[in-house]
Amino acid sequence: MDPTLTRIAEAEIEAEEAGARPASPWRNRKLVAGAVIVGVILVSTFIGGLVWDTTLARAATSPLNLPPFWVDGGSMDHPLGTENSGRDMLALIVVGSPTTLRVGLIVALISMLVGVVLGFLAGYLGGAVDAVIRILSDTAMTIPTLAIMIVIAAYIPEMNATTMALIIAVFAWAGPTRMIRAQVLSMREQGYVRMARLSAVSDTEIMFREMLPNLLPYLAASFIGGMSGGILAAVGLEALGLGPQRVPTLGMIVSQAIEGSAILRGMWWWWGFPAIILMVIFIGLFLIAIGLDEIANPRLRGART
Amino acid sequence: MGDDLPRPLGPAELSRRRFLQGTAGFALVPITATLAACEGGSPSPGGEGDGDSRRARTLRLPITSRIASPNLWNPMAPGMRDDAGFQCALSEPLFMLNYETSEIEPWLGEEFTPNETLDVWTLRIRDGITWSDGEVYDADDVVFTIELLRTGPAEINFAHAIEMQKWVRSVRKVDPLTVEFTLTAPNPRFQLDYFSVKIFRSIVILPEHIWAGQDPLTFENYDPEQGWPVFTGPYKLASASENLVTWERDPNWWGAKAGFQELPEPEFIEFEAAETEEILVARASNNEFDFLDDITTGAYETMHGRNESMVSWNPDRPYSWADPCTRLFSFNTALAPWDDRDMRWAVNFAVDKDEIVDIAYEGSTTKAAMFFPPYEGLERYVQLLEDEGVFEEFPILEHDPDRAAQLIESKGWTRSGDGYYTLDGRELTLQIDTPTEATELSRYAEVIAEQLERVGIRASLRRLAFPTFADNIKLGEFEAASDFSACGSVSEPWYSMDLYHQRRVAPVGQASGGGATTTGGNGVRWANAEYSRQVDAMASLPLGDPRIDEHFVAAAREYLRDLPFFAAAHAKKLYSHNTTYWTGWPSREDAYIQPPVVWNSSHRIIHNLQRA
Repeated sequence: MDPTLTRIAEAEIEAEEAGARPASPWRNRKLVAGAVIVGVILVSTFIGGLVWDTTLARAATSPLNLPPFWVDGGSMDHPLGTENSGRDMLALIVVGSPTTLRVGLIVALISMLVGVVLGFLAGYLGGAVDAVIRILSDTAMTIPTLAIMIVIAAYIPEMNATTMALIIAVFAWAGPTRMIRAQVLSMREQGYVRMARLSAVSDTEIMFREMLPNLLPYLAASFIGGMSGGILAAVGLEALGLGPQRVPTLGMIVSQAIEGSAILRGMWWWWGFPAIILMVIFIGLFLIAIGLDEIANPRLRGART
Repeated sequence: MGDDLPRPLGPAELSRRRFLQGTAGFALVPITATLAACEGGSPSPGGEGDGDSRRARTLRLPITSRIASPNLWNPMAPGMRDDAGFQCALSEPLFMLNYETSEIEPWLGEEFTPNETLDVWTLRIRDGITWSDGEVYDADDVVFTIELLRTGPAEINFAHAIEMQKWVRSVRKVDPLTVEFTLTAPNPRFQLDYFSVKIFRSIVILPEHIWAGQDPLTFENYDPEQGWPVFTGPYKLASASENLVTWERDPNWWGAKAGFQELPEPEFIEFEAAETEEILVARASNNEFDFLDDITTGAYETMHGRNESMVSWNPDRPYSWADPCTRLFSFNTALAPWDDRDMRWAVNFAVDKDEIVDIAYEGSTTKAAMFFPPYEGLERYVQLLEDEGVFEEFPILEHDPDRAAQLIESKGWTRSGDGYYTLDGRELTLQIDTPTEATELSRYAEVIAEQLERVGIRASLRRLAFPTFADNIKLGEFEAASDFSACGSVSEPWYSMDLYHQRRVAPVGQASGGGATTTGGNGVRWANAEYSRQVDAMASLPLGDPRIDEHFVAAAREYLRDLPFFAAAHAKKLYSHNTTYWTGWPSREDAYIQPPVVWNSSHRIIHNLQRA
């Protein structure tokens, strides 16, 4: 027997002997920690939007190049400082953080939707359908996506957060498709699927009513991973100056800091704060993904300690 | 093991490894940049002239991008990089316009004079000039070059071919040092526009003995064994690669032998690629470069704090020198509602030009009432408008949001609940095009967009790659733009004004212009018959003729009444010179010529440099 499974079984027996019910796998510490981190960011920016003047995120609304309030020359009027076009850093972060998360959310939604449909079709139906989808997704994964996204972004008349998310999503479907296809290939030979097939249940019902619920933890983990990937790609585009023009995002702030020689000028607050927020978001999403991964995979759960 | 087998369960294709790689990569960007910037923390120990080392005998200049074709030294061919020594080391001009005095100074040419009707020009070349291979430079070379431009394909030589085809009916050698040009029409600016380095470059005369029989579009003009490229400058090409071009002083330079000028002091000139402002500033702080071409105010102040030998044109703010291409805000006057001059004036009243200077330029430039650079020869004309009371009639520099609102509302627009004007259910919007490559243009466009939002116009920015941006202006496929399409006048007003002549207007979708600028001319599609008549009247008057004044004022009134575009600010170039190894740089106090170092007029600077 797999030693990991043995450990899990032993742990469950110990728990039962101690009179406790087995802990719900959803009470995973990493999942909870990640959700709290992302939640705090969202709640903070939501509250920030209520209590702070977000119009200060526009150019020419504040004095230029002020440091944070605890540094000489700083002011409580702009607690996190300002940058070289007179934008308030706190307002930029309050407006930019949810926008950045929204980009990730759109990318993840689209890529997962396409991935679920294509992955199920390929994995369950097999044959020519599988061959075509597999070739398409394998080909898509070999494309140097950042280079192509740069070209596409350069030709977009007016870039906003949604447009950018759609561009990224165009290239983000191949990964989920391959992952889901592999899982479906494994699941379609399981007893309950065979039974459903023998009971003359339609293929669509088998795929999306019988098999899909069993994949939900994987899909959730994949969704979070897609979100992180979407944010990362968006930050890459924005850092190259190809992001939205007037809607602040964390990547756009970093891009403007690069253009404005912030590091050279010692304006650490200009790139430092958005970079910290981005890292916190990534860590939060990463923890959520690991947590979901452990929920879906007993081997990982057992090896946790 | 094939793809058909299930993969280990995990968060899909954004695997943990890829995720961590990406995150680490992102985190490394600021760290790497910080380290790079820190490299330039203090000047090198050899920062006091460094004795007689190679560095002390070398003028080191940066180029901001790598050279795609380092072996291409054909100024007729598209793609030749002429900012890596071609203009300031290798080829010399016939004449050079001094922006500071508005005088045309002789170099290879001695004089260039028109007849009374301004349609026959006679060029007199300096005696004793030789090419770097020893052959004599004479009238035959000039005639050969002009004939090549006149009869060659339009693609050659930075649009000079088009101008020669337009203006030169015939060119002939009178004697070995004299050439006569017969023009198709009177042109008082023939010498100024094409032979005097008006902006950056002018027509390059070619050695006939090398170029005869060559295809002007495919000839590389590079053969180290034969000593090519051959021109008349005081430096010869020593080596060229994508990143570094080295020029070595030619001890046999004609100018020293003929008693025209002494050999320049720098024995070598090196151009090295340094692609970002951080790298440029860090390396200049470390005395690795002797000149920086336009950096931001903050970067300059940081660099000057680290290395006081790095100085600017102006010792104090604004540190910069004014570039000839005044920055504009242009409307497409073929599109409603911007086809209405009141709406354009409303935008002008909504724009606070002081704020543009303070925010977008961080105080490194000045406001501009007209679309001319602030050079002596043109300031006279702007002052003329002031004296005539034209600016009282048309308060172009006034920031008056109430007046803007009044003008917009007079056209039936009403401000809706969300603060934007609407008319018949349509919101008042303005999309501003700006080129991706030019941060300066984007920054003032951003500020203008915010100012328009404040008065109720929903403004948006569209960043485009420069070729697309320029094409859109030519074709009229834009609503508004931050641009510099009036670029051209430096010492007289006609050239820039003629770019907005009604003959250049084309329907939307067809290229406007005919001008040598990248945006063609009159991309705003403004047709004003009276303006055009006045500009035509100026066209054939000799430079400096007092009769120009009345036509200029009349044309300016038409322009200001209609306001198809307005000046956002004078263009700034914050050049920085390093005095560690070389002194004698031009400055506001010693303005013997304009400060760019890689122009064809920069020979004056190179010859003026002395070892520190």
